[in-house]
Amino acid sequence: VGDVHPHDVAAVLDGEGIAIRGGHHCAQPLMDRLGVAATSRASVALYTTRDEIDRLIDGLATVKRIFGIGER
Amino acid sequence: MNDLYQEQILDHYRNPRNKGYLERAEASYEDQNPLCGDVIRMDLAFDPPLSGDATPHDRRIKEIRFSGRGCAISQAAASMLTEMVAGRTVAEATALTKDDLLAELGITLSAMRLKCALLALKAFKAALYGLGSLY
Repeated sequence: VGDVHPHDVAAVLDGEGIAIRGGHHCAQPLMDRLGVAATSRASVALYTTRDEIDRLIDGLATVKRIFGIGER
Repeated sequence: MNDLYQEQILDHYRNPRNKGYLERAEASYEDQNPLCGDVIRMDLAFDPPLSGDATPHDRRIKEIRFSGRGCAISQAAASMLTEMVAGRTVAEATALTKDDLLAELGITLSAMRLKCALLALKAFKAALYGLGSLY
């Protein structure tokens, strides 16, 4: 999602009823190693449904729309 | 749905006001929020300049620049704050409260995001407090 900050990604998705983790994940050394301020993580598990994945994809489209990615 | 990212916030985030550095800053402070990695630096210049002899509180903030990185809330708040205090006297700027800034932002924030919004104000106030040692 471009350079949108993970906390912004997480907050927008939260507004859509989707919970992801955004930030350091208690792993600041890894963030330094990756050279990023923070990351977004969708925690997919056995019980995640196809519908939930679809909603995540729709949610990411909303993130892009709000932050104008693809318009510039 | 997403009431956090209203037009005024996104406008300041996409087109930040007073973003950059002052080469001859008379007061500066950089602060960060280690939990989310947001960084904000404030550079200030005064009129009359600090080398003059006007009383500290009557000086006006002639120029202000912010720099840093972080989420949309932190960057928009920093941009808005610079507009709120540019041209104000040090006394007026010192009296500015977090509620003034939050009212300008016009959104309701959770405790976590409150720290994003107030980082700029914290850095700004710290830069002003630094002036105290000069008098």
